[in-house]
Amino acid sequence: MSALRVSGLSIARAGLPVVSGVDLVAEPGAISVVLGANGAGKTTLLEGLSGIIPVTGGTIAIGGSEVQNALAGLRSRAGLAHVEQGRTVFGQLTTDENLRIGLRKGAGTDEAYGLFPELTQRRQVRGGLLSGGEQQMLVIARALLTRPKVLLIDEMSAGLAPVIVTRLMHTVRRLADEGLAVLLVEQFAALALSIGDRAYVMRRGRFVYDGDCGSLAKAPDELHRLYLGTT
Amino acid sequence: METYFTAAVAGLTAGGAYALLGVCAVFTYRLVAVVNFTGAAIGTAGTFMLISLTEAGYPTWPSVLAGIVTGTAVGVAIGFVMTRWFATAGASTKAAVTAALLVGLIAIGLRLTGGQHPHVMPELFPGSAFRLAGVQVTNASALTIGLAVLFTVASSLFLNGTRTGLHLRALSERPMAAELLGVRVRLLSLFVWGVTGAFTTFALMIIAPQRSPNFMTLSLLVVPALAAALIGLFRSFWLTLAGGIALGILEGLASTVDVVSQYRSAIPFLVILAVLLWSQREARWDEAR
Repeated sequence: MSALRVSGLSIARAGLPVVSGVDLVAEPGAISVVLGANGAGKTTLLEGLSGIIPVTGGTIAIGGSEVQNALAGLRSRAGLAHVEQGRTVFGQLTTDENLRIGLRKGAGTDEAYGLFPELTQRRQVRGGLLSGGEQQMLVIARALLTRPKVLLIDEMSAGLAPVIVTRLMHTVRRLADEGLAVLLVEQFAALALSIGDRAYVMRRGRFVYDGDCGSLAKAPDELHRLYLGTT
Repeated sequence: METYFTAAVAGLTAGGAYALLGVCAVFTYRLVAVVNFTGAAIGTAGTFMLISLTEAGYPTWPSVLAGIVTGTAVGVAIGFVMTRWFATAGASTKAAVTAALLVGLIAIGLRLTGGQHPHVMPELFPGSAFRLAGVQVTNASALTIGLAVLFTVASSLFLNGTRTGLHLRALSERPMAAELLGVRVRLLSLFVWGVTGAFTTFALMIIAPQRSPNFMTLSLLVVPALAAALIGLFRSFWLTLAGGIALGILEGLASTVDVVSQYRSAIPFLVILAVLLWSQREARWDEAR
């Protein structure tokens, strides 16, 4: 069974359609990459999936249970975690407190420190005082402690040094290899395709490509055409 | 000198109530990001439940309990409106909504309680607690200040020492990020509104016998409460506590000076003005440069 199955999803902002008739699946142990130019609707798609904004049509099933009408908190408890764009740490709370917020039964903060040893020395430091890379590690680790079936990650690389981005990408690949379903929205197309399994390319709120990452990585001209819609 | 001291001590009852109402206002602002103009009106609704029941012949303490339950319920109802329809609105919109709700609550309250019709408010804690330099400190003074200190200490312990407190702190900073981690944001917000409703009601029950017990007068105690909260810059519980007590003492002292006595209810407005001017001084200075 797919960790996440989306059928005919439509989302509007201020009455204007932004995402239209999207179908996608995220399988356990695989990374699905969503690519597209700015304004294509990628972030809106993730916000609709996690319940930040309401959807106007279609279905969202997490582990077989439909959640399209549920609040964000319920979707989280059903197994969906969303790492938002912009590193949404709780700036006034320490690293340790940030990690403990969503802690589910059987999860412990030691897992987070094991995944990102860099955070160990920063346990008692306020989230707002961490570096950009540390903040991104913190929000990923924090999301994992909710024991998700599927992890949505939005623009993980934004504003980070390439060496940190590579480190984070490898960690995400490792998480998928351990059985997590990952849906990764990313501008850094080459790196995302190098770790991904399935690729979707979005243009004007619709998917214009649904296939494997390897083929797309080998055809940069095709990717360019899909992004811009030129023939 | 003794006259001034007696007047200052007399102001402690009001000061304790202002402090408690102010601390509740800071609690609401810090946790659900609302400058709540309905705070005192919520407590007034509960207080009038107590008055109605005792006037109808019911025993005092069960009526107190019913009043606190009413205050809690009204608080939760206001909280429901704010979390259901205005959760993502800006701070000024939320404040404006609570100001509008205050007007509505006063209108309904005056209608239900007979307007200016005189009521008998039972004194819950008559008598004096102890003498301070020869001046009697009433039970009401000691209790309101004690309750304000208790609320301040308990809030701090609760927010910093419990899982629910951690969730509330996360909710106050980034409600959506907290909800995405599975925090029950709406339920916790309603909890905050309910708790502050209960404490506000009890504070007003203590102070009401010293005031004219009509719905409007008690509801407008939100002004000194917000002045106290402003002294704490809507952040510090302890500064708010001290500010509320100081306001009460100042009002008490003002009552001994004939020239200013009749204007003493304007003191909270002057304090609000002074704090706003002081807090904006850097912006004004930059503009002047």
